[in-house]
Amino acid sequence: MRELELYFGPQHVGMVGNFGIILNVEGDTVVKARSNPGYLHRGFEKLMEYRSYIQNFPLVCRINVMDPDPNEMLYAMAVEDLAGLEVPPRGHYIRSIVLEMSRISSHLFWIWGFGNLLGFDTIGQWAMGDRDYFLDLFEELCGGRVYHIYIWPGGVRRDLPPGFADRLCAACDHLEEKISDYDDLFFNNRIFAERTQGVAPLTREQAISLGITGTNLRATGAGYDVRKDEPYAAYSEFKFDVPVMEDGDSYSRAIVIRLELEQSISIIRQAIAQLPDGPAWNKVPNPFKWNINPGETYVKIESSRGEEGVYMVSDGSNKPYRVYFRTPSYPTGMLVLERLLQGASVSDVGHIMMSLNIAAPEIDR
Amino acid sequence: MREQDIKQMVEANFQGSTARVQKKGRIIVTLVKESAPGALIFFKANGFDHLSAISCTDWLKEDEFELVYHLWSYTERIHAMIKTRIPRSSPVAISSIPVFEHAQTYEREIHEMFGVNFEGNPRLIPMFLENWQGPPPMRKDFNTREHVKNAFGMEDNLR
Repeated sequence: MRELELYFGPQHVGMVGNFGIILNVEGDTVVKARSNPGYLHRGFEKLMEYRSYIQNFPLVCRINVMDPDPNEMLYAMAVEDLAGLEVPPRGHYIRSIVLEMSRISSHLFWIWGFGNLLGFDTIGQWAMGDRDYFLDLFEELCGGRVYHIYIWPGGVRRDLPPGFADRLCAACDHLEEKISDYDDLFFNNRIFAERTQGVAPLTREQAISLGITGTNLRATGAGYDVRKDEPYAAYSEFKFDVPVMEDGDSYSRAIVIRLELEQSISIIRQAIAQLPDGPAWNKVPNPFKWNINPGETYVKIESSRGEEGVYMVSDGSNKPYRVYFRTPSYPTGMLVLERLLQGASVSDVGHIMMSLNIAAPEIDR
Repeated sequence: MREQDIKQMVEANFQGSTARVQKKGRIIVTLVKESAPGALIFFKANGFDHLSAISCTDWLKEDEFELVYHLWSYTERIHAMIKTRIPRSSPVAISSIPVFEHAQTYEREIHEMFGVNFEGNPRLIPMFLENWQGPPPMRKDFNTREHVKNAFGMEDNLR
C-alpha cells in the first residue's frame, strides 16, 4: 500500500496549544510519527536574561497556560533559594491551596479535552463549567482568571480575601458532588473503558528510562510524587494518597487523573482547616535594585503533569544569568509520543496525544 | 548511600573531578569533558535512573559552554548535577543517548540554541526554529534586539 505523509495539527482539539505531528500513514496505520513543535516558541528563557528578577513573573506563568501557578512557584522558590529568603507558614499554606486549585482546574481542562475526543461531549461541557467556579475564585484572589502572578518571592502577593475560604470549600463540595456524575457518565462507562484499555501502553521501566514523570508515570505502577519525595510549600503537613494504576495504558492514565481530583480536594480542605495566622509574605528588597547572590540552584515541584524544575544561575547582578525550565511535557511530547504513535490507528492519534496530557506551550517555552 | 558517600565515590573514580554537597538532596559534580559519559553510566548504575534534563549555560567571559546533566535517584532522593565544560570555539560533546534515550531531544535543543555538536546523536535537526539563518540564538553574544531590528526593520522608539 502507498505510504502517505499526513500533517496532524498544529490546530487540534487534542492538543492544548499549537503542536503538529507529521505522520507517515499506510492505509489506516501510522508507520512513523515525528513531533513538530515550535508554534508556541516565545524564547522565554532568552528573554528572562534581559529582565530583572521581578519582571520575569509575567513570563513564567505563560509557560503553561492551563496550569500556570507551578511555574510561578518554581521561579519564586529558585529566587528565594538564591537570595536566602524565608516564607512565613501562612504563605506556605496559601501556596499549597493555590497550587491544588491550579491542579484541579488543569485536570478538569484535561477531562474536557479527553471527553470531547472520545465523543463524550457532555462530560466535556460539565468539566469546563465546573472549572469556571475555580477560575472565579482565582479572579477574586488576584484579578486574573487564567494568569495569576499571585505567588512570588517571600510568599504570596496578598492575603486571602475575607470569606474566600468558605467560597473555596463550597466550590470543592460542588466538585465532589459532580465527580460522582462524571463517574456515572464517563469513568465507569463501558464504552470509555473499551475505547481506552490497552491503548498506547507503557511499562514502568520504559516510562522511567524515557524520563516520564507525574500522572503518566504513576499510571505504570510507580508511586513517585515530588510532593512526597521532596516536600515543598506545606505538603509535609497534609495527609494524602498518591493514586497509582498498574497497566500504563490510556485507561490507567485517565483514572489516575480522576483519582487525583479527590486528593486535591482533600488537601485544600486540610489546608483551610489548619491555615495558620500571621503574615502571608515576608518583605523583599526593592525589586528594581535587587541584586541576587551569585550561585546556582535546581528546584522542583509536582505540577499537574509531573516533575517541573527550574535551574537558575545568578552572577550577582539584578538579572538572572540563566534560567532553564524542565517541563514534564517535554520528554512526553517529543520522543514518547513518537514511539507510542508507531503502529497506532489514525483515529487513535488524537486520543493517545490527549491521554498523555501534553501541554504544547510547555514544550516550546 | 548519602550525599557524602556519593561525593567520595565520584572523587575516587574520576580523576580531576570535584563533588560538592550543596545541601540536603543536592550534589554538584564537576568533571572534565572526557569523563562525562563514564560518569553518567556510573551514576545510572548507582540508582540515578531518571535524567531530568540537560541544560546548557554560556559562560562568555570564560569562553566556555557548561553542560549540566540533571539526574535524580528515586531510591535515594538525591538530585545530582553533573557539570562539564566545553570550549566555545569547538563546541563538541559526546552524546549520552546510549545511557539515557531521551537525551536525544535535550541535545537536539542545545544544538539548535547554542550550536553544540553532540557526537553520536543522529537527529540534530531543527526543532523550534524554522528557516533560521542566524547564529544560535541562546548564545550570550546574540543580541535579540539587534536581530529584530535587522530582520523586521524596526526603528528606535523615540518616545
